[in-house]
Amino acid sequence: MREEVRQIQELIEQQAYVTDAAVATSLYLAMALGKPLLIEGPAGVGKTEIAKVLAGALGTQLIRLQCYEGLDATTALYEWNYPKQLLHIRLQEATQGSAAEKEASIFSEPYLLKRPLLKAITDPERSPVLLIDEVDRSDEEFEAFLLEVLSDFQVTIPEIGSIAATHRPHVVLTSNRSRELSDALRRRCLYLWIEYPSFEKELQIVRRKVPAIGEALSSELTQVIQAARSLSLSKVPGVAETLDWAASLVALNATHLDAAVVTETMGCFLKDEEDLRKFEREAGSRLDEILSHR
Amino acid sequence: MSGAAAKSILADTVLFCRALRESGIAVTPAEAVAAVRALRLIDLDDRQETFLSLRSVLTSGVEDFPIFAELFEEFWSRPGQGGRPSAKTERESRSGINLRVPPRSQEPAPRGLAFFLENWAPPTSGDSEQINTPAASNIESTAEKDFDRFGSDELEEIARVARRLVKKLASRPSRRWKPVRRGSRVNLRRSLRASLRTGGELVELSFKKRKHKKTRLVVICDVSGSMDLYSRLLIQFAYALQNSAAQVETFVFSTSLKRISGHLKNKAYERALESLGETRGWSGGTLIGPSLAAFNSGWPALVDKRTIVIISSDGWDTGETEELAAALAILKRRAGRLIWLNPLLGSPGYQPLTRGMQTALPFIDVFAPVHNLQSLRSLERHLLL
Repeated sequence: MREEVRQIQELIEQQAYVTDAAVATSLYLAMALGKPLLIEGPAGVGKTEIAKVLAGALGTQLIRLQCYEGLDATTALYEWNYPKQLLHIRLQEATQGSAAEKEASIFSEPYLLKRPLLKAITDPERSPVLLIDEVDRSDEEFEAFLLEVLSDFQVTIPEIGSIAATHRPHVVLTSNRSRELSDALRRRCLYLWIEYPSFEKELQIVRRKVPAIGEALSSELTQVIQAARSLSLSKVPGVAETLDWAASLVALNATHLDAAVVTETMGCFLKDEEDLRKFEREAGSRLDEILSHR
Repeated sequence: MSGAAAKSILADTVLFCRALRESGIAVTPAEAVAAVRALRLIDLDDRQETFLSLRSVLTSGVEDFPIFAELFEEFWSRPGQGGRPSAKTERESRSGINLRVPPRSQEPAPRGLAFFLENWAPPTSGDSEQINTPAASNIESTAEKDFDRFGSDELEEIARVARRLVKKLASRPSRRWKPVRRGSRVNLRRSLRASLRTGGELVELSFKKRKHKKTRLVVICDVSGSMDLYSRLLIQFAYALQNSAAQVETFVFSTSLKRISGHLKNKAYERALESLGETRGWSGGTLIGPSLAAFNSGWPALVDKRTIVIISSDGWDTGETEELAAALAILKRRAGRLIWLNPLLGSPGYQPLTRGMQTALPFIDVFAPVHNLQSLRSLERHLLL
């Protein structure tokens, strides 16, 4: 393994994120090649977390752009600070100077409201981590616009001119595949797919994130979660749910799982009435079997 | 790294990318360049690292992973060479001449319902008999009636088509503007009017943005015996539409009409089917005319000029044609567009000669097939009102 990849893995592990070679290699290449990293996978497997951990590990700023339907360039890139401009106009009314000068002064950087994308390319110190979260929720038009920004990291503001990136940000995009992303965007990015963690990995995550949990409880809980994921639920519990449940069980001073405890607390990881019923019906009766599985 | 080694990596990577393209992974030249750069950055003796790096660079979807893994295995390794890339040159370079790149979307998944629907066509032989005997149209229909035999993967494909459609319908900008608290454009008129309150001083700005055009959908599905095979597909489609946050109303009919929007909404698919099982009237013939008339009188408020009404039926009507004509005339007058989907239209020799279809044809704006996923996709262009 390349020394740099190992270092990245170590740095990430220091941020209390349980990782593997695929994540570390992709992150290393994304940084070394200067390409955006597209992370896909089911909801709740820690896609967003990777960007946060990366920013933490590099000691840089994390700039987050949450995508949603109808997100447009003004919310993502920049906007003029109209009230401030108006105020300035009134203050300047009595002063000398031509109209052109006055106009130039209100269309300058102090009157610019930087939105995430512009903020990400104008960081004066070092490359920040730019997280473009749930890019599949944005419209296709926005995706095209994003492609343009990501290809040359340069933004043109008509009143000012072009602003090129001082430090290229490390870009991480996440998608839940609610919409098929365009091939152009996919091809521009390195690709990483994250699955639900295996039993061993999830157990490690639980023990790392909820240190107060006992050995026995943590392994029992992970077994139940893994069994729940195989049930084809409408909202499959993610890692965040596992951790919520672990924390709740610790708060309740539970040391072992039994049918009563599971029934009381399963709202922590099942967030849908249908799923609750399905889980009770199909897994509740087999709890002993699930727990003795390993 | 020696010059010769670098050269061989370059050549091997190019060959590997070609092999990937032939297998349907559309690697761009830029990606091939990135792959070569990536290989210089990593530890080539670490086989896993080489694999993960190339996969990260050269694939762009989890669907590509199995093909990639297979080709990587075949291409980049020979036992006893420590995993160092050593391409099998001859065969690949020969076959590499053919650089046709099949677009991914056209490749059907080689399994499951999605595949079945993509490739399904009614048997060409026996078409005529089928048309003449609607009640006994499908011998295997009893076995096929079982809605919940579809896996979640296959449903997902139909749902994806539906979501796309709904999104298209919901996000088209209108020419009209509406005031909003925060937005991209300053609403000058409102801002100036508001400034009168503060003595002509612009203190707060108001904004405006474009309204969205809203199209409503009403889906009326024939679920009588002769439509068995297709009504499943359509109900799934309706189910997916219904749960994609659009204004969709769904009805089913055979001898009578039932509104099932509520049954489809916000439920797991199996549960939706359970509740549908109670409402479906599988028995008897089809009364299209009376069912549409019942719709017209029962839910007149659902249809206006911004509504697209989709009727899916094979046109086998056991009722009176006058009633059908009257009901369709009313619908045609009220609706923005009237679409009739007929699954039989997908089979090559079909002519809409049935009495019901003949009656209906003058009233409908769009007459389209609906027998597989492709026809669902092409429905899109008819829905932009």
